[in-house]
Parts: sequence; structure tokens; C-alpha cells
Amino acid sequence: MTAAGPPQPTAPPEAAVAEPRRRLHPLSPVLHGAKSIAVVVAALSWQTLSQVGLERFALVVLVIAVAVVVFSIFGWLTTGYQVVGRELRITDGVVWRRNRAIPLERLQAVELRRPLLAQLTGLAELRLEVIGGGKTEAPLAYLTVREAAALRQRLLALAGRTAQAQPTDQLETAAAPIAPALERALLRVRNRDLVVSQLLTPQAFFLPVGVAFVVLQFVMEGSWTFVGIASTVTAMAGVLLQPVRRVLQDWDFRLARDPEGRLVVRYGLLETRSQVVPLNRVQAVGATWPLLWRGQGWLHLRLDVAGYAGEGGGDSKRSDRLLPVGEFATARGLVWEVLPGVDLAALATSPPPRRARWLNPLALRSIGVGLTPEVLVTRWGLLTREMHLVPYARLQSVRVVQGPLQRRLGLATVYADTARGRSGQAKDRDLAEAYALAAELAVRARRARTPEPTP
Amino acid sequence: MTVDALTPWPDTVEWRTVSPKLITVELIVRWSWTIILVAGLVVGLVLQGHWLWQLGIALVVLNAIWRSFVTVRAVRAWGYAERDQDLLVRHGLLVRRLSIVPYARMQFVDVTAGPLERAFGLATVQLHTAAAASDARIPGLPPAEASRLRDRLTTLGEDRAEGL
Repeated sequence: MTAAGPPQPTAPPEAAVAEPRRRLHPLSPVLHGAKSIAVVVAALSWQTLSQVGLERFALVVLVIAVAVVVFSIFGWLTTGYQVVGRELRITDGVVWRRNRAIPLERLQAVELRRPLLAQLTGLAELRLEVIGGGKTEAPLAYLTVREAAALRQRLLALAGRTAQAQPTDQLETAAAPIAPALERALLRVRNRDLVVSQLLTPQAFFLPVGVAFVVLQFVMEGSWTFVGIASTVTAMAGVLLQPVRRVLQDWDFRLARDPEGRLVVRYGLLETRSQVVPLNRVQAVGATWPLLWRGQGWLHLRLDVAGYAGEGGGDSKRSDRLLPVGEFATARGLVWEVLPGVDLAALATSPPPRRARWLNPLALRSIGVGLTPEVLVTRWGLLTREMHLVPYARLQSVRVVQGPLQRRLGLATVYADTARGRSGQAKDRDLAEAYALAAELAVRARRARTPEPTP
Repeated sequence: MTVDALTPWPDTVEWRTVSPKLITVELIVRWSWTIILVAGLVVGLVLQGHWLWQLGIALVVLNAIWRSFVTVRAVRAWGYAERDQDLLVRHGLLVRRLSIVPYARMQFVDVTAGPLERAFGLATVQLHTAAAASDARIPGLPPAEASRLRDRLTTLGEDRAEGL
């Protein structure tokens, strides 16, 4: 982490928690090896398979997988974790040893992931999101489900301590895991809706055209080799991957509030994820109305949590769903739940001045910005309408940027930066208004921060 | 009401400018690169003697001259102001930017000085927040001012520190 952190409220009593360093589950190396098989097969591709033949191909894959397992065993031997005071300490690395201490007050969200193999073996991966890390810090792969759930409860309890500022006994919290039965269910997305929503995407519309093209090509050329078909199918799968992956990932989407008021998100078919986000860690909420979903009146809600910012792999890998698909009424209720006092139906925005049409000839009417008592609302997009809600308390900085064309027209854009990286953007406002807006945002952010210092 | 993009809130905010020595530093950097580029082009001209090389040299020199004027104005456009709760930084001529960074959001402060900057007694202070987009960099500060600013920022940041 960076310097200039908050002054330690109370020095962690090291002696009080002299617990032993714990290992990951012994099956972890095997699971890592199995996981690598898929990667290796993908890397070698169909072309190689046809060139070297099935036996040698399988042999190569096997050898690499065994090598990974052996390497993972060394990794497993050196990996350990322990909770010391209000820190989680993780040791890992085979060649370069790494010892890291994660201050739990910086914990943003905790996720429990269970890929297919882990589900079969009753294991789970625990991922901690800490701000400032380029990627997910410390994925603990793998633990038994019970162990992971208990550790998660414990970490969250320790992390939430600053909020209440009640220094209870360390051991007491550790010994009292909270029963999950007390959760209050908020919503469950119907799988039928999910499938329909993913059929209503450009990729799905492209499918019949693609299939027709491929069939036509084969009929014309009359060459039906295995590798040819397999490659084509893989290519088609590549196009279709996103909707299919979304369906698999968002399958059986459930949302609940746990007894402490944290948000619990569970979803996934092949890989189940269960994510716990304290509400004060929500940096922003985004709503999207895709063009093809308009008929159903559906929308998609996104949750911005700091720490996921650096994770690559695009949209599908991140765990940022608040609502994969749902009706407006549902979304309205959810937004009220996550950002209390914010009514999605009553968010008025004002468009930029008319002269901004030179910069946005078509989409002028769809751009807008509005201030409510709690959040900054920005809106844009003609076909796919989007809305971004940033609570003032989460604002990191405010910027006013004026490009050369905007200067000609006397316009400027105001950015409201959050820790997630995606900024609220008030495009093409009148210059005087932009400065007034920036000043107002700075004042409101300060006011939102000061009354009760958010953890 | 007219608003100048370079000096917002002129009556309430006291803007400070960066050291004019930064102009010299930037000009030296610009002209060093220009000389290297021109030298390469001259080698090409000597070896091949095509008129396109001459055109290239002329363009590079003209560009450098024009950019030098821009540099002078751009350095004068840098400005910062310390208010009691936040730091304001403005810069840019073509694209004008103003950043408002609350001290409470500061994660860490960088003070850097390259060899050329050091030779002229300058330093750059950069304020980092948790948002990658935040853009609060002040170049061309005398070292005394830079360390004063750094100390002030860290003190203010500590006073108002919080997780996130």
C-alpha cells in the first residue's frame, strides 16, 4: 500500500493473536494443474493437433500439466496465510519469496469463487479486493468452502470494525461466525429473462448469418475435414462467447443483504461466485439500457467497487454486476437499497446548451447532468442509454477540461473521478456553468465526507 | 458573464505561477531533440542529397520554433492554488485543464527532479489520489517551495485522512 495511510487507531495487539500460519488445501496443486490443461490445449490449437496426431498431442498436454502440478506443489509448500491483528499476512512465491501484509481496513470486497473443478472437490478460491493493487490482491486458491466462508466472515468483521469503532476482543469475533440464515433476500433474476436478454444482443443476431455463411462455404467447396469444422466451430464460439459466457456467469443471480447490511451477490453456473461488498465501498452505480432491450423495458445495473479497476479481460471477467437484467421497477428498488435516498425514477438531468450540438449532432438530447442531494447523475448515449451515479462522498477529485473546439463554443467538460477509474462525465457544459458545477461538486464532496468520516 | 478558462474564480482564489526557469528547461529539452533530429536528417542529406531531406530539416526547425513560443505560453499557463480544503491545479493551452483535488483524498505525494531540472533548481510535485484519472502535477517549483508544498500537503492529508 501507499504511504500516508490513516494513523493506526490502535496498534494491533500482536501477542493476542499468535495463531499459526495456515496452508491452502492440499488438493490445490492438482486443481491448478487441471486448470492448466485447458490453457495448454487452447494455446496449442487445432492446427497443432492435426499436425502431430492425437497421441503425441495428448502426451504434450499431459507432460505440461504434470509440470504445472509439480511446480504448484512447490508453490503450495511455500504459501501460507495468517491473520495478525487487523492484517492478513500472505507468504508465497517459489523463486521470489513474497511476504505481504494486507491492512484489513483497506478491504473493499471479498469474493468467493468456485470454478467447476473446485465445485466437484468442495473447494473455493477466496479473493480479496484491496485498493491500490493493480490486480486482485492475494487470491487464496484453494480452501475448503467452510474454511473460506469462515475466513471471509472473519476478515469482513475485522475490516468493518473501524466503522463502528468498537474494539471488541479479537478472539471473540473470530470464534463467532455469523449464521448466513439471517440474510435478507433482495432479488433473484429469472434465468429465462437472462437467456432472453442475451439473445437480444448483436452477437446473437449475427449468429444465423454466420452459420449460413459457413454452411454455404462448405457446400461450395465440398471439403469436410475434421480440423476445418472444428476450427470453424471454435471461431463461431469466439463470436458467441460473450453472450454465452454472460449467461453462464450470471446464471441464478441472487442478491441479498447480510445482517451487517453488506451486499451479498451470488451467481454463476460453471463457476459460482459469491461476493460480499460493504455498502460504503460502492464507488458508483451505472445503469445501461441497451437498444435491443427497449422492447422489454429492461436495463442492466453495474456496481463500481475500487480494486477491480486493474483487472483485465474486459467486462466478463470482472465481478461488477448489480443486476444483469431486470425491469425498471426492480432496478429502482435496488438503487434505493444500495444508494439510500436515490430514486432512479426521479433523477432529473439538464442537457448542455444548444450550441453544443456542433459537437454532438445526434446525441445532444441524450446527454445530461444533474445533482441530487446524494449523487451526481450523468447521462449519455443515443442508442444504448447509460447513466452513471456517483455519490458525493466517493469523489476523489474534480476536473474541468476544455478542448480547442470546446473553447470556440465556450464549452467545457467536467469530470468527477472516483477510485474505480470510471469518472462521471458532464459533457459540453457552458464554461461558467462548468466551473460553478466543479465548485459545487467540491463543496458537496467535502460536506459528504466531513459529518461522519467514512471508513 | 465572461469566464476566463485560465483563471477560474479570480476573485476568490489566489493563483500562483510556476518558476519561469521552467521555460529554459523546456526549451533546452525541445532544442536538444531538434538538434538530434536535424543531425540525423543532415546525415541523410549528405548521403543521398535529395531535396526532401532539406524540406524535412526546414519543417523540423519551423516546428521547433513554433513550439518554443507555445512552450513559453504553456509554462505561464501552469498555475496552482492552495485552498483550505483542496488543491487547484490548472494547465494546458490547447486543451485547458483544471483539477480540484481535496487534501483528504490524497494517497501520496511525489517530489521528483530530473538532472536538468536539478541544474536549474527546480522540482516537480505530484499529488496522487486513489483515482487514476486525477491529474495534479505541478512542475517547475523551486526546491524550497516544493518541499514546503509537500510538507503542507502531507500534514493536511494526515489531518483529514480516511480509508476511502
